Amino acid sequence: MIGNFLDQFWSLTFGGLSLGFIYILIALGYTMVYGVLRMINFANSEVFMVATFATIIIIRDVFNFTQTSEYATGFRLWLILGTALVASMVVAGVLSVLIELVAYRRLRRMNSGILAPLISAIGVSMVLAEAVRIMTDSRPVASPRAMEKSFLGKFFDADVRLDNTIIIVAAIILLVILLAFVNKTRLGKAIRAVSMNPSAAKLMGINIDGVVSITFLVGGLMTGAAGFFYVLKYENSSFSIGFELGIAAFTAAILGGIGNIKGAFYGGLALGLLETYASFFLGTQWKAVTVFVILVLVLYTRPNGLFGEAMTQSRA
Amino acid sequence: MSNSVISLKNVTMKFGGVTALNDVTFDVKQGEILGLIGPNGAGKTTVFNVITGVYRITSGDIVFDGKSLVGSKRYKITKRGVARTFQNIRLWGDMTALENVITATDTHKKSGLLSGLFGMPISRKEEKRDKARAQELLDFIGIGDYADRLAKNLPYGVQRRLEIARALGTNPKLVLLDEPAAGFNPSEKVELAATIRKIRDAGYTVLLIEHDMSLVMKVSDRVVVLDFGQKIADDAPSKVQDDPRVIEAYLGVPEDAS
Amino acid sequence: MINLRDKGADIWERSNRIERTFIALGFIALAASLPFFGGTFLNTPIADYESVLVYPVAMFVLMAIGLNIVIGKSGLLDLGYVAFFAIGAYTMGLLGTRTGLNTWEILPIGIAMAMFSGVILGVPALKLRGDYLAIITLGFGEIVRIVALNLETLGRSGGILNIPTPPPVFGIEYSFDSHRIYYWTLLIIILLAIWMVRRLAVRRAGRAWESIRQDEDAAELLGVPTFKYKVWAFVLGASVGGAAGVFYASKTLFIAPDNFTLQISILILACVVFGGMGNIWGVILGAVILGYLPDRIRFLSDARLLVFGLVLVIMMNLRPDGLLPRKKREKPLPKEAK
Repeated sequence: MIGNFLDQFWSLTFGGLSLGFIYILIALGYTMVYGVLRMINFANSEVFMVATFATIIIIRDVFNFTQTSEYATGFRLWLILGTALVASMVVAGVLSVLIELVAYRRLRRMNSGILAPLISAIGVSMVLAEAVRIMTDSRPVASPRAMEKSFLGKFFDADVRLDNTIIIVAAIILLVILLAFVNKTRLGKAIRAVSMNPSAAKLMGINIDGVVSITFLVGGLMTGAAGFFYVLKYENSSFSIGFELGIAAFTAAILGGIGNIKGAFYGGLALGLLETYASFFLGTQWKAVTVFVILVLVLYTRPNGLFGEAMTQSRA
Repeated sequence: MSNSVISLKNVTMKFGGVTALNDVTFDVKQGEILGLIGPNGAGKTTVFNVITGVYRITSGDIVFDGKSLVGSKRYKITKRGVARTFQNIRLWGDMTALENVITATDTHKKSGLLSGLFGMPISRKEEKRDKARAQELLDFIGIGDYADRLAKNLPYGVQRRLEIARALGTNPKLVLLDEPAAGFNPSEKVELAATIRKIRDAGYTVLLIEHDMSLVMKVSDRVVVLDFGQKIADDAPSKVQDDPRVIEAYLGVPEDAS
Repeated sequence: MINLRDKGADIWERSNRIERTFIALGFIALAASLPFFGGTFLNTPIADYESVLVYPVAMFVLMAIGLNIVIGKSGLLDLGYVAFFAIGAYTMGLLGTRTGLNTWEILPIGIAMAMFSGVILGVPALKLRGDYLAIITLGFGEIVRIVALNLETLGRSGGILNIPTPPPVFGIEYSFDSHRIYYWTLLIIILLAIWMVRRLAVRRAGRAWESIRQDEDAAELLGVPTFKYKVWAFVLGASVGGAAGVFYASKTLFIAPDNFTLQISILILACVVFGGMGNIWGVILGAVILGYLPDRIRFLSDARLLVFGLVLVIMMNLRPDGLLPRKKREKPLPKEAK
């Protein structure tokens, strides 16, 4: 068993890393909103689900790929991938902003605690998942393969697959852009100000509603990118995909320390790898259990997550 | 010499690199009103927080009623006889004033969840007794008429007083009052001073944080002054007022004088 | 908006003991007579009306009452309540098919199992920050389902078949198609649960939970053993869920992991918040509506869950405190009036 594991270590690690980056991007949708609102963005999972369908529609219906089409190459390939990525991000970003308007805004203004918005977000999730379920006849939908999954070469005996490589490289680029946005731009600084101290930020003249919308937009964009990468990697989607990946990504956010971007990064990577390794040893059916046991152990020893900054001590 | 209710012995409290309390030693004697004053950030509320177990002290000891409080759970410290109010009012807003106080009296109930569920006589008896006791306390503190009003809807001054009644509900030996007169007008302050004395006369020992110097000086039997986490004075009010170190702490030292 | 809860409380407080008894009996009679309205506008298309009354309606009411202790009373966000329901059901399934024990003998065992797992989960989880409780309970709910899905003993995805019906009580037979007998039995269990919650709410435990919900730090500093009461809330909530599970298994005669998905946890949570968190009558109303509605609107066939989701969004935006919110009103001040 161990021998097998060592043989496959690098190929498992690559798969785990690309899954990890998908988790990171979805986790950002949770963690950024949590940072600003201290609320669980429950509908983020369905934003992801919708984004996967946006990608499939671009590949299948806009560029007319079928299961038997020849692979695209060269410029056409990058055009297709680029279009699908941008379209998924835009769809998800806009959807995310709309969800904030419908499910959160009014309740937020009424200061109604955390449960009422949670239930209304659950309602939105149900609407989205059910709408897609009805449209897809409750069946999973396969995405035609536009890109040949060629091997780029070997790394310690492990095949380096093109799709995994694209996911890892593109996700890193997105994360760098995100960090630059949050740290360098005015809007990014406003987001950080609100997440540190909303009332002070308001007194300083920051438009809270605007910041919240931007946060949902950015979280949605990242989650949308994850939708594209997911389809690239697994080549299918279904109405229930949001739920599965959403829980995992939310776990990743908490594992790393919810509310900060660094936490989503490490939590997503840790989860992607752990899940892949655990599936190898215990079989895929136990991976969710493994993940949750690890989560509980981590939270028990480090209540703010692996990389979470310690919250200020409880005050009386 | 009268007995100490509580003694802080060389208490030091550090948060990371910041020392909030530095080797602070003082005690509060049975039946006195001890004023705890100092400029902003001097560590007054930190003293309350280490006594009540919110923070665990870095070194030193806190002895209450002959035994150390350090490391005890917060609710057990309360049960042993220390109760407090909060600088920023922290009542349970959706409960009535009376319920706020009854909840505090629950500290010493023998009956718990199961005896309550099965309606055992002890539970009924205690409920009745404590309800009467809570009403008594509200009357004692002068807000008996508000018993059935939700705490969040009470006028500000009544909320401040309810905080005190709730603390008394735990039947403490030592009451810690954290700026009970904050936001009061002069006539309310005069009333409050009378109330604090009344509390002392009823047999409680009082440790009082207050910004209003005239109130502290009028009501306290003794005053401890903190500055940057250190005790700089511990004496009768009249003497503390003239202490050059205290004046320096409050007014700052002119730069050319140092 | 008019506050129905306050109206109701007003009438109740102005009534004397005899009037109150009559009001209570009236409501119980109304609830008990529901199975006879099968032919009226209440009838559910497609699904059997009386069976809908048992599950989901009455079962949701029972579970919502249990979850309300955890969320409504103590403010602990539990997203995995279905776990206790599943544990009760599987206890019934296993013991019912493998031992000679009958439903009534298994009921206390199932409740004990649910309470025990409540302690196992609650003791570590309740020490953590409140936000994390949500994800840990959610994970626990999924773990219970996954374990059921993968253990041979628990029948994997096939579940457990041929679970026995309860033995007759006072000569009343429980056959699998006599829904109203089950319904009335459930009604009695529900009344017991209501009695338990109401009794606790006005005593020390109720005040402890209420103080924890509103300001946990202040509660602890005023002598409330907060951790102990949080675990109690969790365990009592679990016991109600366990009881519901045992009875559910004994009614459907067949259980499988698919009956215990996260969706159930979410639905029960929705019942509690939709109806009016913290107020038992609101919670019951919420559960009746949310349990009944999806079957009543079955004519929308495929779109019914979609409509259900819309209803949740709209209702929460209009009434964030739920249909019958918790106490907001105050008694008049007799002394001030003088």
